Amino acid sequence: MPDRYPGYDVLAKRHTPSWNEQTRRVIDRRLAVPRTPRFLSDHEFATVQAIAAEVVPQPVHRPPVPVAALIDAKLLDDIQDGFRAADMPRQRTAWLRGLQALDAEAQAAHGAAFRALTAERRCDLLLQMKQGALKHDSWGGMSPVNFFKQRLLHDIVEAYWSHPTAWNEIGWGGPASPRGYVRMGYDERDPWEAAEAHGDADAASRKNRHVG
Amino acid sequence: MPMQRPERTAMLADPLAEPRGKDGRAPDVFRPGGWVPMRQYRESEPVDFLIVGTGAGGGTLACRLAEAGFSVVGLDAGPWFRPLDDFASDEAEQSKLYWTDDRISTGANPLQLGSNNSGKAVGGSTVHFAMVSLRFRPEWFRARTLLGYGADWPIDWREMWSYYAEVEQALKIAGPISYPWGPKRPRYPYRAHELNAAALALAEGCEKLGVAWSETPLATLSAPRGLAHPCVYRGFCVTGCSTNAKQSALVTWIPHAVAAGAELRDLSMAGRIEVDAAGRAVGVHYFREDAWHFQQARNVVVAGYAIETPRLLLNSTTDRYPDGLANSSGLVGRYLTVQANQAAWGLSKREIRSYKGPPSLALTEHWNYDDRKDFFGGYCYMSQGPLPQLWANTLATARGLWGAPLMEAMENYNHQVGLKIVGEMMPQANNRVTLADDKDQYGLPIARVEYAWCDNDRRLIDHALDFMTQALQAIDASDIWQQTDDTCHINGTARMGIDPRTSVVDADCRSWDIPNLWICDGSVFPTVGGVNPSLTIQAIACRTANRIRALAARGELERRAHV
Amino acid sequence: MTASRQALQSMLDQLDALQIEADRCAATVRAARRLNRGSALLAASVLMDSAVEHYRGNFTNRAMYTPLLISVLTLAISAHGTTDRRPASHRVRHGIAVAAAATGLAGTAFHIRNVLKRPGRLDWQNLFYGAPVGAPMAILLAGLLGSAAEWVRDTPNHMPPRLFGIPAGRALAALSGLGLLCTSGEAALLHFRGAFHNRAMFAPVTLPPIGAALLLNAAVAPKCRERWLTRVWLQLIMLMGLTGVGFHAWGIHRAMGGWRNWSQNVVDGPPLPAPPSFTGLALAGLAALGLLRDHEDA
Repeated sequence: MPDRYPGYDVLAKRHTPSWNEQTRRVIDRRLAVPRTPRFLSDHEFATVQAIAAEVVPQPVHRPPVPVAALIDAKLLDDIQDGFRAADMPRQRTAWLRGLQALDAEAQAAHGAAFRALTAERRCDLLLQMKQGALKHDSWGGMSPVNFFKQRLLHDIVEAYWSHPTAWNEIGWGGPASPRGYVRMGYDERDPWEAAEAHGDADAASRKNRHVG
Repeated sequence: MPMQRPERTAMLADPLAEPRGKDGRAPDVFRPGGWVPMRQYRESEPVDFLIVGTGAGGGTLACRLAEAGFSVVGLDAGPWFRPLDDFASDEAEQSKLYWTDDRISTGANPLQLGSNNSGKAVGGSTVHFAMVSLRFRPEWFRARTLLGYGADWPIDWREMWSYYAEVEQALKIAGPISYPWGPKRPRYPYRAHELNAAALALAEGCEKLGVAWSETPLATLSAPRGLAHPCVYRGFCVTGCSTNAKQSALVTWIPHAVAAGAELRDLSMAGRIEVDAAGRAVGVHYFREDAWHFQQARNVVVAGYAIETPRLLLNSTTDRYPDGLANSSGLVGRYLTVQANQAAWGLSKREIRSYKGPPSLALTEHWNYDDRKDFFGGYCYMSQGPLPQLWANTLATARGLWGAPLMEAMENYNHQVGLKIVGEMMPQANNRVTLADDKDQYGLPIARVEYAWCDNDRRLIDHALDFMTQALQAIDASDIWQQTDDTCHINGTARMGIDPRTSVVDADCRSWDIPNLWICDGSVFPTVGGVNPSLTIQAIACRTANRIRALAARGELERRAHV
Repeated sequence: MTASRQALQSMLDQLDALQIEADRCAATVRAARRLNRGSALLAASVLMDSAVEHYRGNFTNRAMYTPLLISVLTLAISAHGTTDRRPASHRVRHGIAVAAAATGLAGTAFHIRNVLKRPGRLDWQNLFYGAPVGAPMAILLAGLLGSAAEWVRDTPNHMPPRLFGIPAGRALAALSGLGLLCTSGEAALLHFRGAFHNRAMFAPVTLPPIGAALLLNAAVAPKCRERWLTRVWLQLIMLMGLTGVGFHAWGIHRAMGGWRNWSQNVVDGPPLPAPPSFTGLALAGLAALGLLRDHEDA
């Protein structure tokens, strides 16, 4: 699939009035998130990577968004959502139990840990989880459906789209303070916004070089 | 000689780690690293009013009571931010504004809490609200009598009309020159903002379907005000305004409250209201800086919003009040009423880029004022502008996309156009807040929130989704889908009324059971209407302050004149 | 800078005054040159204002370059006219001035069309944020003043200058008075949009209408040599127009990010080049007063 916003890099705006100091600090911290697990075990970390590869498949031509590392950081900081279903434990427990149960399901169905399965089998297991078809004892009363929707999907998606690389792909303007936006109407773009290819990748790419 | 800057370290200090409102000063929200003097009260000396919570209800009331000359202390569990210093342009980082403490959400239609409806900061949820500032339809104050559903409010709409005007003036609401619905209202103090493409799409849809639309009256500045900057259309409104354009309680009521002599204590979690042998409230136990404190007070006001308010009342049981305070009716925690928040989404051929500007610049209240419907209540719908994390989460959890379809759908982000309702749900006694066995980080039992829609709720939702889908079709949107499960705004768990048996507080927000215990937030709503509640919460707070002044003047603050 | 310009100006004026004694037709040249200056200020204001506003509109329509081009040309002919002391009109100058006026009319039509295309049609939202309906009026006025300069300059010796069959002094007083009224109306609309949040915002909606009334009175009232109040008032408006730039610069400074965020605030904040329109029109008014004074029957 060709780039919709060719050459757009939201990080090019880092030193423009679109970014302030506090935002630079936050994004720098996120970009520097340790790529090795601090809360999860190595195996759990690798399992999260395997899940994330199915939920938010990434192109190979660029450095990947470190989804597992971002989730590991979230669990380490224990930043919660503010609610959970009655059949859901708190998020740390939920993730640990969910990963364990997923492995148990993989073992039962295919005789191997989840991360060792083919992409097709991983996808199939995740689909079964979503549909409530997983019943292994190791879920320990936690609802696989809620785990899929409220933990797994939610946390992976939020981790992925917290990363500038993901912002580039969807052409979002990114951080915006003190400078916001001027042109508000249909098909209106400020010079510091991503230009969409609309069939002319070169023209868009030229504009995107100047968003900084 | 280098200038001494003792604030420097404090400015960089983490507002979530260490309280700022102490030692006789409070953070100046308008100046980076700045401070303003703040009066301090001794814990051992009873203050006139001790207010738990500083959001739309508590912040407003603290301001008005302090201005009236009462001694006021406010407690807030959250930090005291300086938006210019502390707010980053980042969704994930700004989740620090939300109440993310543990809560259990259950029932047939469990609520999503946290980001969308619960704030934990000085200023409460107004720090991250969408600024939509609408008045109730007058008939809603007598919904039972005039419209046949819910319950009547004990307040006349004409009285509310003047308090609405007071709040609109205090927040310099930017609104249209003439509002298409409801009785005449004074001109909004500031002019409406320029519409973004998402709002223009709503307007076009309405014009095609033949219903009126309007610029949304918003609590964000369209022109400078004092030290606050006008809006720069950065679009991060619901994750915290870093320019101070948003007229949250944090930058309006609270600085005025402090200037008028109120003391506000941040990072102060109220755990229990103390009641004496005579059954009167005498103060509040609260947790701050690793220790429990006790502040004495002649009056206690609970303003923690519709989950924390009943939780505190239920957590304050005594031998005399084994079911919690102010709960002789058994209604504390009951009639939790949220609002429907369903949406229709589609794709436009044109670039919408709805991330620019406040998310809801245009709306229609048509179905709040047109009664030719097969359900009770009404709804408005507004244009939308979700930022990427929220949008991805919506596509994943509400539309059920993951894998390649999710990645492809996200690529259409800049062409996405959406309409979302704020719809009136019916008050039901079984929708309620109770206490769970689990404890939070303060050792307090957490809230358990139970919610189920009724048939009327479902009919309203179906009607709204159908109409909004038509509106998207009318502007040639493609790939239209319906987000069916969202809710917003939490109200009604300590409803006001005229009968102590069927309500928790009277029209003055004073509890029937304990004359010096008051409740002032969305909890007191008997019905929720089809508009965002913040303006009404603030209007009620202004009214309560006025009533308290009148009662004090008559010597009726200490005891109720007649029940 | 201003002081030296004023000094220079007063010297020129004194020289002019001497010449009047020698040749009355020099008075018409002087009035014409004043009109050229007024036209120049208006054109400069249009040039910068439309540059900013049409940049904001991304020049989506090629026609949006027109006011830039025409206002540059108007500036050029005004400069040429200001230095030209010959008592005869100039065909190219006149042609461009007429084109500028026509551009103003066409621009108004374009802007009205833009507003009518938006949802809400002629509602406040579109008057505030759609293409500004009153803005092209400034280039129309610049063209009319430039045109008037040529007519007045072309007056044969010993004939009172006339415009459209009306004595030129009176016609010009009326034109600049109406111009002041319209421009004040536009300021009123935009300052209303800004909720008159600063009291100084009332100045351009109160001073110019009074100036307009004084000018209109001069246009119709019996002859009167000394209109000192009108003169002083117009000078006040000239000053207001220049001070307005300072206020608007302050407005940009106090927006989020201030001047460092110029790429937003210069476009979104109060328009820097707008207030000098008043100065240009006040200059034209003063030129009209000059004609009225010098030609008793004008």
